[in-house]
This record gives sequence, structure tokens and C-alpha cells, in this order.
Amino acid sequence: MMKGWTGKRLRIDLSLKKAWLENIPLKDLHQWLGGRGLNASFFSKHFQTPISPSSPENPIAFAVGPVTGTLAPCSGWTSIASFSPLSDPPVYSFTRMPGYFGASLKGAGFDQLILQGKANRPIYLWIDGGEVKFKEASHLWGKETTEATVTIQEENEDRSIEVLCIGPAGEKQIPFANVIHRLSWTGDYLGLGYLFGVKQLKAIAIRGKKEVTLHDPRQFLNLCLTLKDQIQKDRKMQKLKEGAKFSFLSREGEMMVKDGTGWPHTGAAKQWSTFLRNYLSSKEGCFSCPVHCGRNIQHQDSYFGGIHLEKAWYLGPQIGVYNGEWTLKLHRLCQSQGLDPFLASSLLAKIMGGSEYGPLSEEDLRQTENIEDQGEKAFAILQRIINGSRKEFHLEAPPVSKNKDIDVLADIISFCLIVVTHFNLKTASNMIDLIYAATGNSLSKEDLRDIVGNILQMESHLQNIELHISEGSSLGERQISKTLRREEHDNESIIHWTTS
Amino acid sequence: MSAISIIPERCTGCQSCEMVCSLSHEDSCSPAFSRIQIKKWEEISVFMPIVCQQCEKPPCITICPAGARKRVPETNAVVTDEKRCVGCKSCLYVCPYSAPTLHPLTKQTMTCDLCNGRPLCTQVCTTGALSYIPEGDLSTERKKVFGKVFLQAVRSI
Repeated sequence: MMKGWTGKRLRIDLSLKKAWLENIPLKDLHQWLGGRGLNASFFSKHFQTPISPSSPENPIAFAVGPVTGTLAPCSGWTSIASFSPLSDPPVYSFTRMPGYFGASLKGAGFDQLILQGKANRPIYLWIDGGEVKFKEASHLWGKETTEATVTIQEENEDRSIEVLCIGPAGEKQIPFANVIHRLSWTGDYLGLGYLFGVKQLKAIAIRGKKEVTLHDPRQFLNLCLTLKDQIQKDRKMQKLKEGAKFSFLSREGEMMVKDGTGWPHTGAAKQWSTFLRNYLSSKEGCFSCPVHCGRNIQHQDSYFGGIHLEKAWYLGPQIGVYNGEWTLKLHRLCQSQGLDPFLASSLLAKIMGGSEYGPLSEEDLRQTENIEDQGEKAFAILQRIINGSRKEFHLEAPPVSKNKDIDVLADIISFCLIVVTHFNLKTASNMIDLIYAATGNSLSKEDLRDIVGNILQMESHLQNIELHISEGSSLGERQISKTLRREEHDNESIIHWTTS
Repeated sequence: MSAISIIPERCTGCQSCEMVCSLSHEDSCSPAFSRIQIKKWEEISVFMPIVCQQCEKPPCITICPAGARKRVPETNAVVTDEKRCVGCKSCLYVCPYSAPTLHPLTKQTMTCDLCNGRPLCTQVCTTGALSYIPEGDLSTERKKVFGKVFLQAVRSI
């Protein structure tokens, strides 16, 4: 029996309303190590030539890593891949989604889920352990994400079900529409909402309660407890615990400014964050998370779901909105309609900056151009885009990931990036230990580096981008090697954890 | 006196407790194998961990027709004797919290055994929703929480 992995791939054809299982050989699992690699290898095997995102054949792949759905800290992440509507001509795109979906997928008994085809009327998928049902979703069509989530859970009489759904924006096939689950987590920069909309798939509901078995449960337990302990004691963790990622706001530019434009209007940004903080209520965290980097929003007696700093920032100061009230309204609009906040932000910035008019009619422009408050203006524009009929967008391609090797590694085994990059943990060795205890797959650090390299190479091949393997590239001689070298000097192992 | 103290408003539903419980007791990870269970209503952000409160007068011990429910003196935990349990589920129905869980394989009931006096769920819970004070009074934890709310209210006047 496979340990850590389930070794199963669930294939679903929505046109035929058929679901079947495929075995994933252990060799492949060891070779690709996790979700990102499994998806890339699936595509390079079956879909070398890009498929139009609007065609039924376009597959959407979800996959998880070897420690997903276990006690390992922040292991609920899911890798997602498809041909995205955001690029023309279509190109292989992938993203990652935090939250609970991956853990449920593993709990249902699958390492990978491939969706193809197109339903002839709105449906949602109900995956209950090994059983797949194609359920009628006409009554859900048009519903906002919160209502759709709750309705599906109540229909199946179990609130523990995880629901991944689209909102009205996805149904209208807006290219930057998104999927959302637990009213908070999204897989961004892929146009997943559009892809679901094309397939007439409102949602995927999963109940996953099967056990994930482990190669060495005792060692795995000890490793996880030690890791969680280390994360808890971390200085940054203390800060995160108090103010979530919003605590990083005080440190100028640390993670906020990704486009190099600096930190504009420091005073105004400060005011913005102070305002926002008043509306943050309880904490929010992913599956098996010791960090809880998100916060819930309680705004005027109504509950909004989770918010994360990056999203708030992109719908705030990033587009010149310094009124926190409008940031919350924009965030709420994206969340309920199922829109990608990052892409919405980049589109809004262009429209408000006067360099793009595509999605708006002349009437829309006339109606919105005189609104003084930037937030109000952004909100009005976004609403008009959702309700409008124009679909000509020039969207930003996903930001070119710096592909810091260690980030890629986290991505590959479907692990939380914050935990990996923000904390001073011996990441590579910890991962090797965790993977061994979970699957029995004994890796050397060089193996790990090679796997990272192979996956990057395969992805660049799929995307038709040349990968430069020279000094300064992300392969081999940079981060991961440095990390590995540093770790070699440090022989302290965390395995010797005792309960005393 | 000892039991796991729960402050539901701090729970985020991250399921770390379920995972550690299942892993330490059953050597595998699954919410179904956990003795602590989280109920969630994400649209209002309410999460509720349900776990045996080790009652002072446990109705499960009184009602169990097989004499399988018993208190372990060392830890104060009320547990199911697997040799005796017939899986009749009486304890599940009589429990005010419905805390006992049916083991998916044996179909016997299982409840929190306080991990021999060191409950792991309270160690992995980083939000403070679960805590364990072996000798203390459980109600003091909740009183502390209320104290803070009260203090804030007084200060804001």
C-alpha cells in the first residue's frame, strides 16, 4: 500500500458525465514529488500543443503533494494547472491555492483530479470519498459564492464539505473570474472562474475523510510537532499572531511593493491600514496551519469572510484607493462575484490611469469619469465590467515568478510559502525528512535540486520559453544550492525530538 | 477536574487538532479517526471543537450496558474499554455534546483520553482555542477571556 500518496488520479469528463480512476505509478510520484510536477508531467504527456481555453477539451488539473492532508504545517495547498484565458495564444499556466481543498482531495482518495469536457447545463460535482455525482446546478446559477457554498453544503446535509465554486463573474465568463473556497481562498492568475464557466461547472464539492497513511507515523508526528514548535517560537510568528500579515505593513516595503514603485503616500497608507485593522475580527488559517496569516472581516454587523494583506493592498493603495471602506467594498465585490483581486486591480489601475478602455462602453466611461473618490470610482467601474457585455481585456500576464528555488520547492510539494520563506527553518532538510517519514521516499539534497530543475525545465518546455541554465538563473547554482550548503554546516537535526 | 478547555471564538477550524489526534492515536491522518471534531459554519466564521469534557457525573458510564465506559484514575479521562464495547452507541446518544465518535473501522466509540496527561491537540493549537490545565479550574480560562472583553469595554467608555 502506498504511503503518503494515494496513487490515484480521478479523471472526469463533464460532457459524457463519466468519472474514472487511473493509477499513478509510484515511480512518477517519486520523480515529480508533488502537485506542480504531477500536473506538468500530465500536460507534457497528453497536451503538448496548447488547447483553446474556451474549448471543452481544455483540461483543468488539480494535484496535491506527498504531505498534503496530514499534520504537516500548512499542507492544505493545491497546485492547479490549465490553459489560461489570460494569455493569447493560450499557454500552459499554473497556480497554487491555499486553504483546505487539497486536504479534502487527498482525503477523498486522490492525488490528482483532471476535469475535461463541458456540461450541457449547469452542474456541480459532488465527490464523496470514491463516489462522484454530477448534480444539477441550475438553481445555483447566478448565486453569489457565499450562498452557493452554503446551499451545496445544506443540500448534502453536511457542513464539513469543502466547496470550491465560481460566482456570477465566472458564469459570465469574464476572463479574470476566479474560484473561491471557504469564502476566502482563491487560485489566482489563472482565470479559473472563466474555465469553470465555460464548462458550466458551478462548483466542486468534496467530502474527504479517508485516512492518509504514513511510512513512519511516529517519526512524522515528532517532526511535525517540532516544526510547529519552531514556527511558534519564531520571532516573526509572534508578530503574525498579533496582526496577521497586516503587521508587516509597518515595515516599509518589506513585502508590499512588488512592482518596484516604492511606498507611495506613507501617511495615507498608514491611515488606510489603521482603518482596515478596525474591521479585522478573528483569525483565519489554512488546513493544519500554525501561522494564521489571514483575518476575518466584520463590517457593519455583516461577516465578509477572510482577507489577506496582499489582496487588500492590491484593492487599496496599489490602485490609489486610500479609503479603507472602499477597499473592503471592492474586496467584497471580488469575493462574492468570484473575481481575481490581483487581476481586477491591474485592470482597474489601467482603466483609471487612462491607458485601457476595452471593457467599458462609452456610456460607462461617461458615468464613471467624474467620480472623485478613487475607491468609489474603482467600485463603479468594476461593477460595470461585471454587468457589461464587453470582454476585450488586456490583462496582465501572471507576474514572472522569481522562481527562487526554495519557493519552487514549496510549490512542488504543496506546502505553504509563508512558512517556507518567512521563517528561518532548515527548509530543504525538513522537507526531505517529512517526505521520508510520509512516503518512505529517501531523497538526497541533490535529488531535490534535480527534481526542482526537471520540473522547471518541463514547464518552460510546455510554455515554450527558453530556460537559461547559467549563472544567475534559478536552476542549480543559486538559492537552493546556497541553502543546501548552509544547511550542510549545520548538523543539528530536528528528528531527535522528545516529549520530555 | 481535568479536561480540555475550549474557547470556540478563537477556533479557526484549521483542523491541526484533528490531525494530531488521529496521527497519534491511529498512526494515520484523517478527521474521521480523530477524537476531537470540529464543526464549521464558515459563512459566519463560527468553528466549534467538540471533545469529551470528562464529566464529573458521566452519563455515558451510567448508561453503558456493556460496562465499557470507565474513568482512568491517573488522568481523570473517561474512556471506552475496547474489549467490552459492543458499539451500541448509547454513550453517543446520552452525551450532552455527542462527543463520542464512532471508529470508522471497529465501529466502537472513542473519546478523548487526554493523551496520558499531555493532550497533543492543546500543543498544536496556536490560536488558544484549546488549552489544558490539569489541576486548574476550567472556568477560569473562560473567565479570563470575559475579563479581557470587560476591560476593553470599560476602557472605551
